[in-house]
Amino acid sequence: MAVAAAAARVWGSSRGLDRAGLLLLRRPGARGLARSLPRRQEQQHFPSLDDKPQFPGASAEFIDKLEFIQPNVISGIPVYRVMDRQGQIINPSEDPHLPQEKVLKFYRSMTLLNTMDRILYESQRQGRISFYMTNYGEEGTHVGSAAALDNTDLVFGQYREAGVLMYRDYPLELFMAQCYGNVSDLGKGRQMPVHYGCRERHFVTISSPLATQIPQAVGAAYAAKRANANRVVICYFGEGAASEGDAHAGFNFAATLECPIIFFCRNNGYAISTPTSEQYRGDGIAARGPGYGIMSIRVDGNDVFAVYNATKEARRRAVAENQPFLIEAMTYRIGHHSTSDDSSAYRSVDEVNYWDKQDHPISRLRHYLQSRGWWDDEQEKAWRKQSRKKVMEAFEQAERKPKPSPSLLFSDVYQEMPAQLRKQQEALARHLQTYGEHYPLDHFEK
Amino acid sequence: MAAFAATAGGLLRLRAAGSEGQWRRLRGAGLLRGLLQPESATGVAAQRRRVAHFTFQPDPEPREYGQTQKMNLFQAITSALDNSLAKDPTAVIFGEDVAFGGVFRCTVGLRDKYGKDRVFNTPLCEQGIVGFGIGIAVTGATAIAEIQFADYIFPAFDQIVNEAAKYRYRSGDLFNCGSLTIRAPWGCVGHGALYHSQSPEAFFAHCPGIKVVVPRSPFQAKGLLLSCIEDKNPCIFFEPKILYRAAVEQVPVEPYNVPLSQAEVIQEGSDVTLVAWGTQVHVIREVAAMAQEKLGVSCEVIDLRTILPWDVDTVCKSVIKTGRLLISHEAPLTGGFASEISSTVQRRCPECV
Repeated sequence: MAVAAAAARVWGSSRGLDRAGLLLLRRPGARGLARSLPRRQEQQHFPSLDDKPQFPGASAEFIDKLEFIQPNVISGIPVYRVMDRQGQIINPSEDPHLPQEKVLKFYRSMTLLNTMDRILYESQRQGRISFYMTNYGEEGTHVGSAAALDNTDLVFGQYREAGVLMYRDYPLELFMAQCYGNVSDLGKGRQMPVHYGCRERHFVTISSPLATQIPQAVGAAYAAKRANANRVVICYFGEGAASEGDAHAGFNFAATLECPIIFFCRNNGYAISTPTSEQYRGDGIAARGPGYGIMSIRVDGNDVFAVYNATKEARRRAVAENQPFLIEAMTYRIGHHSTSDDSSAYRSVDEVNYWDKQDHPISRLRHYLQSRGWWDDEQEKAWRKQSRKKVMEAFEQAERKPKPSPSLLFSDVYQEMPAQLRKQQEALARHLQTYGEHYPLDHFEK
Repeated sequence: MAAFAATAGGLLRLRAAGSEGQWRRLRGAGLLRGLLQPESATGVAAQRRRVAHFTFQPDPEPREYGQTQKMNLFQAITSALDNSLAKDPTAVIFGEDVAFGGVFRCTVGLRDKYGKDRVFNTPLCEQGIVGFGIGIAVTGATAIAEIQFADYIFPAFDQIVNEAAKYRYRSGDLFNCGSLTIRAPWGCVGHGALYHSQSPEAFFAHCPGIKVVVPRSPFQAKGLLLSCIEDKNPCIFFEPKILYRAAVEQVPVEPYNVPLSQAEVIQEGSDVTLVAWGTQVHVIREVAAMAQEKLGVSCEVIDLRTILPWDVDTVCKSVIKTGRLLISHEAPLTGGFASEISSTVQRRCPECV
């Protein structure tokens, strides 16, 4: 093969030799080929079949020039986009031509999420919930990718993917229940806010440790492949989490074990206060994919159609070919890392304003909708009022509900409750009998 | 790794108690002090390393599980894995070097029998192995992960403690990874030094949500491993590597279960309770015999079997009877699992110790 390729280069054919040509080369003597080639340089060694590297670890040719490969970070992997910053389609053949209802669903999901974020962020400031993380600026990455999947595709997230659940019609009541940790929380009030999970909607419960979901998603994809489920697994993570060892493990396993998985990296510029310049020195996350043998692409994460197109194609091929795909969605974290963070400590208000005003996934989609005549200012006003009302109603209801019973502290540690935990549960019950007045038991179910 | 295992296999030459053989052991010798001599030696005896500090005692042949076969520990493990893959079409086995049969031969023949999509190598990455295993289990399929040595389980500690153990609890039972079992060779082997000899059960005992199991023999190993695989909680199964070849007994060919979280009183006594697990059970048995012979002391010997959740009732019941407790394990003393047992027993039955 190396001989054929080398010969093709010399003879200038871009596609390699046709069958006849290959047959001709099949049994060359080194001498025979050397005779028919023009001599380019004095020192050029023509690679003969005997002189090919035989190492099991890499298939490559020999080179006699000492040259380090320069990592390309100045003009790295290009950013695929469909719309410009004003929401206009750049190349009409890339427009997915989605029906109006679907695109309106995109818009409503992103804006409803935005509204819910504002209200829940405020509620933390007012001491009503303990903690919150907003998704400002990244709504396009959630909705564009979720829309390109089947409803039964399994989702492993990090913590800033609420729009995926929103797109899958997770009710506001349940978002709120988890944040308030009330009796309606499917998670039984055990985790901090925004650690959503939903079995029905195939969204695996979020955990706080970063990147742990990555090798898990790969395992789930392997099982889906074995089950012939025609199902893809998508795994979201940030560019910061991509530095964890678990990310490296996940990428390598997915490639070697041929798993139908989409790795979706939200590169939003910051991991809490750490900018990307302190997170990595290479060309982002997309450039790591080829190192693992993974098909990779970088997209404009604020362009919901670019995200949609890339995810759609990745899904089709991942399932058909049983191989992983890596999508790095470039975006910007407009909000603080969480309610425990004030990002003015490490970035300028001007920088944030640029993204909020000049390159926001919601505005870009709105311009697209408006230019199609599918949306106008009146609908915008009415929808804002309606979505705010929906969120406020869910919010007020969630506030009124009690918290789960303290006895639930001990169940589900194992499938069955072992004797030692039962003893601890009983000890707590006795303790509360005696000292209950010191605890806000009125807020909890019995 | 493979060279090490082959050498380990080659050097272990223990006789099962009671069987006649070609080799005789000098009496009273400690580790590295004795010599193995052929009976027919005429001149200078060949010096061989005596690598074990105990004699494996097989249990009587089990009658209630059908036909049995002579198996050593690794063969009993293979048998359990074979049974599991036969019964459960979703079950897969993976880890470093499991495809060719494993560095301790535990997976020999399984890839040929069940296919390369069910018994396969992973890249060299413990955190990946366990994380990947959790993911398989989350979908409901059975995942049997091998960590090559318990000494190398630590890169996977985050996945085990923060993820596997808490999966069901943190999701409100929406999700779980109960069908995950992690197996790892465990404990001293004579020449393993710092990194092929560790007994890390105490680190995991501190982690609610997982089960930790250590068998003492081939029969126990197969039954306990099958129970772990079928258990609906993530389990860690530590296999005493020194017993892989040294322990031989009759083991049922068909699947059977040995219950988890149940300690076994393997010898009744009245004066002191001796608790151990894994290899040390055999040391403790010899101690019990010596105590009886030399001191006239009657020992009750308990194999704990499951470290987490452990069988508090059986141990306490025994201590209430004898009034004395001795726990022996290979792992470091400070923070070792003996401290959990002794503090619990002292709390539960203060008047009798």
